[in-house]
Amino acid sequence: MAQFNIAHLYPDLMNLYGDRGNLICLQKRLEWRGQECRIQNVGLGQSIDFAAIDMVFMGGGSDREQGLVYADLIKRAEEFRQAIETDLPVLCICGAYQLLGQAYISADGQRLRGLGFFDFTTQGSQPRLIGNILVETELGGQTTTVVGFENHGGRTFLNDARLKPFGRVLKGYGNNGQDGFEGIKYRNLIGTYLHGPLLPKNPVVADFFIKAMAVRRGMDANITPLYDAIETFAHQQVKYKILNS
Amino acid sequence: MLRTIIAIAAAKIIINISRRFGNQGTVLAGRVARWLDPGILKKLAARVTGEVIIITGTNGKTTTSNMIAQILGANGNSVVHNQAGANMLNGITTAFIAASSLKASRHWDYALLETDEANVAPLLNEVNAGQLLITNFFRDQLDRYGELDRTIRLISEGVRGRDIRLWLNADDPLMSALPRDTGLPCSYYGFAATAYDHEAQQDSREGRYCMLCGEEIEYRRFHFAQLGAYRCPHCGNSNPAPDYLGSDLQLGHEIVMKVNDIEVNSPYQGFYNAYNILAAVAITKGMGIADAVIKEAIARFQPQAGRMERFTVGIKEATLILVKNPTGFDQSLQALLNDRRPKNLFLALNDNAADGRDISWIWDAELEPLSSAEAELCMLVCSGLRSGDMAVRLKYAGVATDLIQIESDLDSGIQKALGGPGKVSYILSTYTALFKCRKILLRLQGDPAPSAIPGERIYGKS
Ligand SMILES: [Zn+2]
Repeated sequence: MAQFNIAHLYPDLMNLYGDRGNLICLQKRLEWRGQECRIQNVGLGQSIDFAAIDMVFMGGGSDREQGLVYADLIKRAEEFRQAIETDLPVLCICGAYQLLGQAYISADGQRLRGLGFFDFTTQGSQPRLIGNILVETELGGQTTTVVGFENHGGRTFLNDARLKPFGRVLKGYGNNGQDGFEGIKYRNLIGTYLHGPLLPKNPVVADFFIKAMAVRRGMDANITPLYDAIETFAHQQVKYKILNS
Repeated sequence: MLRTIIAIAAAKIIINISRRFGNQGTVLAGRVARWLDPGILKKLAARVTGEVIIITGTNGKTTTSNMIAQILGANGNSVVHNQAGANMLNGITTAFIAASSLKASRHWDYALLETDEANVAPLLNEVNAGQLLITNFFRDQLDRYGELDRTIRLISEGVRGRDIRLWLNADDPLMSALPRDTGLPCSYYGFAATAYDHEAQQDSREGRYCMLCGEEIEYRRFHFAQLGAYRCPHCGNSNPAPDYLGSDLQLGHEIVMKVNDIEVNSPYQGFYNAYNILAAVAITKGMGIADAVIKEAIARFQPQAGRMERFTVGIKEATLILVKNPTGFDQSLQALLNDRRPKNLFLALNDNAADGRDISWIWDAELEPLSSAEAELCMLVCSGLRSGDMAVRLKYAGVATDLIQIESDLDSGIQKALGGPGKVSYILSTYTALFKCRKILLRLQGDPAPSAIPGERIYGKS
């Protein structure tokens, strides 16, 4: 039995819309496979040992909170960036996703700096893009649908040739409501606007991260399959609803 | 004047027709009247001789305003009061018209208007309110109003510069900037230490950061959620002294407590209802109503539809509970877990506009206690438009999957739950499934003609 450590960055500040569902999901799916999972909460000013963690999760927050997080995270940006380059699994949602780019420009023209890991910017605008969303993505050589809920004012445009979108929008808005792409994917990092319980209803995405954690530890890439009847039902129920709306 | 009479007549016809079809026509009547006479609400509200009182906040608005209405009624006052589910301008207009004479000549002592936080400012543009009571601020229906900060700001901006008294929850740190931001006179209600307090907050939620300076605040105790005894070490912001202090709280089959020097008891259950009682007693005491009238009205006041309403089907007991946000969900589960009998649980999750389109909030609720053996759960039936999400949430809360059943149809689902091995059943439902569940329970109970519930047909989409 191995112990996996997942760092939850700024849970007090970046925690909207049931984001913790994603952590509960990863923890349970590791436990059901006989592994141990420790969630380490990291707040403002607390240290992170990137060598000792298997995954990073960061959720959404308001503009004010995003500013505080930027000021703190920029101090360890270089370590974080290097860990991403060495295939650290990372899931960043909404505000955390926007923070990975160059900047967030609010509707009234205020410029909030981003960590600048990738070349993209987000422009705040009205109306907010809200609703259920259906995305098609390719993970581990397998094409799959992803269902979720998006609620963001920001429009994100990708300029970075290294980046692939997380997926193609089948129904909903995605990055900007125009180019048909959703989120970003780079090595084992996913940035996305699909908030809240993304992983529980999309066990394929959850297992993508678990597999990546295992491989990075030098363990067998063939992780034990789980019986996902309830998850699959929930996924299909939402998918059907979206396709028929 | 003629325009007003036509508007009232048209709305009254709509109200009458829709009542005949078993509902109150709450929204349509008001909408038509406002179209015929845009100034109608202003004119009717001006007929209130005493005061217009607005009740807002995330949870407890309906229960609190119903209790206040009960007390005012027992005091012999005439009251205009809008119904649950009809709390936007159209619904409030309907409430005035239903209570009005055709020529708008009738006067009332009070108007008691329950409304959503975002509707306070538009409502104040049409009615001259003397008092605004806020129950609490919890995370709720974010997809409709944006973030909590914004909701609070909407209220501040709506009341600023008006001649209005605020009634605030002294235990809610999220309210602490309202006196500064509005400059208005405030009265406070709050609880002393109780036997049900916690030392630690159950989860990271609202109220961790000071509303005045942004630093992290410290708590001495939590009543529940972010309600408790707090202090900001940076700027000293702390609980204001309550003008109306709840103490000696006993929660069980009923609620017994003291408010300042009077003892009240109520057939309600749960800490959240103790807050509703405290708020209702505080504001009516503040209005000068006699203690004996308040005590009597609170003791007689029975739970409403979906607020722990009991049914008997055959020999089995079923309790219907409305859930709409994480805090309310936690509190309802706490109340049902206090019941030690073996039980069946039915959970209907809908995602229509009135429920909140985003069901992510079920992951902010603490469902993990349902997985313990002491919960004595025999069967959990997940139902509604998002039955799958509910089932997934239960599975990841650690509930054994062989206890979880999915039955999206409400009628079959409720029957399945009532037929389960547990002695009692708890029927939990979000807003747009609630009245359907109630109808099903009444039918199974053998009531020939289910009584109409105000607001029932407004959101008939599921
Ligand atoms: Zn402070």
